[in-house]
Amino acid sequence: MNINEIGTPLIQVQNLGKKFGDMEVLKDISVDIYKGDVVCVIGPSGSGKSTFLRCLNRLEEPSGGHILFEGTDIVDKKTDIDKHRQKMGMVFQQFNLFPHMTILKNLTLAPIKLQGKSSKEAEEQALKLLDKVGLKDRANAYPNQLSGGQKQRIAIVRALCMNPDVMLFDEPTSALDPEMVGEVLNVMRELAEEKMTMVVVTHEMGFAKEVATRVMFMDGGYFMEENEPVEFFENPKNDRLKLFLSKVL
Amino acid sequence: MWEKLRDDFYQNFIVDDRWKYIVDGLQNTLKITFFAVLIGILLGFVVAIIRSTYENTGKLKILNAICSVYLTVIRGTPVVVQLMIMYFIIFAFHDPGQIFTAILAFGINSGAYVAEIFRSGISSIERGQFEAGRSLGFNYAQTMLFIIMPQAFKNVVPTLANEFIVLLKETSVAGYIGLQDLTKGGDIIKSRTYNAFMPLISVAIIYLIMVMVFSYLVTLLERRLHKSEH
Repeated sequence: MNINEIGTPLIQVQNLGKKFGDMEVLKDISVDIYKGDVVCVIGPSGSGKSTFLRCLNRLEEPSGGHILFEGTDIVDKKTDIDKHRQKMGMVFQQFNLFPHMTILKNLTLAPIKLQGKSSKEAEEQALKLLDKVGLKDRANAYPNQLSGGQKQRIAIVRALCMNPDVMLFDEPTSALDPEMVGEVLNVMRELAEEKMTMVVVTHEMGFAKEVATRVMFMDGGYFMEENEPVEFFENPKNDRLKLFLSKVL
Repeated sequence: MWEKLRDDFYQNFIVDDRWKYIVDGLQNTLKITFFAVLIGILLGFVVAIIRSTYENTGKLKILNAICSVYLTVIRGTPVVVQLMIMYFIIFAFHDPGQIFTAILAFGINSGAYVAEIFRSGISSIERGQFEAGRSLGFNYAQTMLFIIMPQAFKNVVPTLANEFIVLLKETSVAGYIGLQDLTKGGDIIKSRTYNAFMPLISVAIIYLIMVMVFSYLVTLLERRLHKSEH
């Protein structure tokens, strides 16, 4: 029993499927994500982890099933997905900061244009969050002047500036130099401590073990095993998971 | 030698106020180029958006087909033929004026090239930029406007500038519909004085100066735009 399971789930994934042509990448996936959950999704490459995450905000169009986000089925074509995406922050492996804007512009663009905040209001919030990740002095720099770790911290702040209800992380440290992984994981750890709901696709087993409330193992388009972290890593049941863990740990 | 040049200059430009052919012609050339560039940018922008939207989303199928025909026909025929078709066939019974006809013909012609330049600019932006915009909650049009287009524009400035240099020089065929542009002005002087050297070299130098000034301005613009890429 998950301690967070109170009330209705924030995200309910029901029988989610995704095909690319004839290739079935996700097969009939159902999972509930509750407020305050930190769900880490691990698995071998090509297992469908990123596709699963990208289906959650419909960057990939699901081929079947339903995703209820705060009670609304966002797979339904009639749903205004743009509205709901404002509540789902996303962080990418390649950062995807906007190179033609300063950091501050990167952070305030969406709040100003989409939430109707004044630039003063948006900037105040952005600077506050920048300060929290230790990058306030870079507010007027351009993305290309920053290191990978700094860029990713900014990307996290950019998503946070929209005050999302859930944060989706797509292998946020995979494109980083090893010495920069820690600074990004620290920001994510703080976020988890503040009870942000997070879904994290990652290869960082240490992070999953330490921060996750639930860890899920994906292979071949299914979730093969799901458990709270201690049990998941110390007492795996699925053979494929055992094999996977023996290789990565 | 200097004596002869001075005499030629006097004959070709001073006598009968012949310099006016050059000045009037230059004005027409600039007028045609300026407005044709505006039409070209507008048309090219719209066509590029339609084509890119179709490529990305599969929407706007019919508009995309129309655009394809437009690009094929315009890029597949010489501009001077298009100009003459416009003047002698399309406007055969209703003459809106040679300048207007030329602006329209060159504008429509330039639009096809500008469209392809913009489209290549848009597709040069990596997909992650688009996804980042959409994931924040921007719709397709907003993502294009705030995130993709500014970067695409920056990438295509040199190619775009080159297109306008080509356009400026291409307007020299405007004489085919009896319009007196810079080239035609020099040509008229030549036919009056039976002297080719002075008027034609002068015309060439004027084109050259215009292109050089324009290129310099583009360099300044590029430098400004690339400020963010230290």
